[in-house]
Amino acid sequence: MTTAKQFDRQETEVATDREPKSGSLLLLEAIAAQGVDTIFGYPGGAIMPVYDVLPQIKSLRHILCRHEQGCGMAAIGYARATGRTGTAFATSGPGATNLITAIADAYLDSVPVVFVTGQVPSNLMGTDAFQEVDIFGMTLPVVKHSYIVRDPADIPGMVAEAYFIAAEGRPGPVLIDLPKDVANAMTTQRHKWRPYPKQKPEMGESHQIAKAEELMREAKKPLFYIGGGIAQGDGVAELRELVERTQIPVVSTLKGLGSLPSDHPNYLGMLGMHGLRAANYAVQECDLLIVAGARFDDRATGKLDTFAPEAKVIHMDIDIAEINKLRAVDASLDGSLKKNLAAIDPFEGGAAPDIEDWKELCYSRRAMHEWDYDGAQAKAYPGVYAPKLLHDLSRRADAMFKNETAAIITCDVGQHQMWVAQHCYFDEPKDHITSGGLGTMGFGLPAGLGAKLGAPERTVITVSGDGSIMMNIQELATLNRYGISLKIVLLDNSVLGMVRQWQEVFFDKNYSETTLDDNPDFALVAKAFQIEAFTVNTADEVDAGIDRLLKTDGPVLMHVKIDPNENVWPLVPPGRSNADMMER
Amino acid sequence: MTEELQRDKTFEPSGVQGKLKIVLHDVSGTLIRALGTIERRGYDYRDVHCTQRVDGDFDLLVHIEDTGGPSNLDTLCKQLERLYNVVSAEKVGRRRHAERA
Repeated sequence: MTTAKQFDRQETEVATDREPKSGSLLLLEAIAAQGVDTIFGYPGGAIMPVYDVLPQIKSLRHILCRHEQGCGMAAIGYARATGRTGTAFATSGPGATNLITAIADAYLDSVPVVFVTGQVPSNLMGTDAFQEVDIFGMTLPVVKHSYIVRDPADIPGMVAEAYFIAAEGRPGPVLIDLPKDVANAMTTQRHKWRPYPKQKPEMGESHQIAKAEELMREAKKPLFYIGGGIAQGDGVAELRELVERTQIPVVSTLKGLGSLPSDHPNYLGMLGMHGLRAANYAVQECDLLIVAGARFDDRATGKLDTFAPEAKVIHMDIDIAEINKLRAVDASLDGSLKKNLAAIDPFEGGAAPDIEDWKELCYSRRAMHEWDYDGAQAKAYPGVYAPKLLHDLSRRADAMFKNETAAIITCDVGQHQMWVAQHCYFDEPKDHITSGGLGTMGFGLPAGLGAKLGAPERTVITVSGDGSIMMNIQELATLNRYGISLKIVLLDNSVLGMVRQWQEVFFDKNYSETTLDDNPDFALVAKAFQIEAFTVNTADEVDAGIDRLLKTDGPVLMHVKIDPNENVWPLVPPGRSNADMMER
Repeated sequence: MTEELQRDKTFEPSGVQGKLKIVLHDVSGTLIRALGTIERRGYDYRDVHCTQRVDGDFDLLVHIEDTGGPSNLDTLCKQLERLYNVVSAEKVGRRRHAERA
């Protein structure tokens, strides 16, 4: 197959009377024309022509991270904090392969990012040349779309289409692989591309909306099950309005946190493997599940055929391929979540009648299982009870910066990630940036710096673990280089906590290769990167530590020693029903 | 290892078979993207035919069989249609003889 054909198909106009420009310059001008202001990147041989002209484009700020994976994850953090499309650059070969984890992360969490990789010259492609890999082929399963540039005249149209595809519909990563000779080539031609959006329905069909409303009127125990699609579909306001109007209780996935404020009266909490009891019980007992922007992920559902066993299902999602994929539905509304949520009005502007008993059951369970932070801290004393620390941290950050919305919290992956989800306060989805689908250790620090650069007016806190932070600790140098005021809370239990927990519970306490008692002194490491840092060893030091963390200007790291035996509860064993929650 | 973590059933194909007709634009990578999606979503090929149409697009006809995961050819068609440069994907099969009135 050739690339030339697509221009015919798209009725390409070839303009030949333009000023000659290199592929590199066309690339950067086209990126700038998309409104991009920040690129996270790392130069190398094959992408040097692009870096050679980068200083000419004054509107593009380049952030030099210290590893390509850091570049990619910073671009994800930037995209998630701003709602705009992120951009990351890397060179060919190892530079490109180092990006792959970030590309996969963006794919699984549906984050719009355009990744640009340098490539060896066209005449060397396929010869196993130095620093040559087939990054186009390697990333096919984890991109929304990808290109190899064969002609510099394609670049303006291709870049415009790449940014369009990354952001439209269900967002995702797009890769542009740019051979070095194409980057260097001069051209007077510009192939104009005409983006061709796939024909997608704007919203659910009217009979499906009517069916959904009928199901809602019939239900005695209805429940909203919301996910990351609410925020990505710009449906937060419509969801809140619908919940206020109908007064139906709500549970959320990890990615849906913040779609309703954590203290909203209808909100029961996160469902799933580490979900709250009230949320999981509500799902198991509801007779109607109204799924909005969620995809029946296994971490949310547990054993699928035991999930919401009595419930009829209404499923709203912009990606029609998610509807009926894992759970047969009774009413399906594809297209815009924002429009679908706004269109539903089952009770003629009023609340759902006849669900008072159901609401009372849900809310009484929520109260019954409320966390006893002080009691748990008293038991852990003088050690630090991490859930209480995170609970206090997020409330105090919000109180201290009361002119802002709540702080943005990014996190890594493991026990601390679940504690953040369970115990921190979020009043907008953008407040919580986590690697939900891929579960990427090493995500939190670069995502945090990307978020802070994208939203400099916000307080951004990265919560990490001693296992995770070591996977991208080099990005402390990026914080220092640009003076990025990221606040890092490093919960250090000197073990790979979540793996250790599973070994304790499911593998007869066979603690194989999970001890990290040879960790470095993290405060000293941070200081070596010229970042302010201090250690909290006991519960008595926590309040002062949080104060210092929040009041420090510039990057700061609070290293907190916590109990290695503290686990995340509740826990639904893999392959079991969400009703089978284990407690300590 | 506890019982919960052990495989709870033998990994066997459920025998779902079918033929799909997929129309592709003539753009680099589209063919391999479509074939890769079919494999990654849990199907093996039994037969593959690809021919170019007069309008320059390609007709890809595949006979596939599931490899034991959740099998739903309608979902697979939607996943294929989600790909850029895939024009359409549909199940095809022997047409039933029209019943006489």
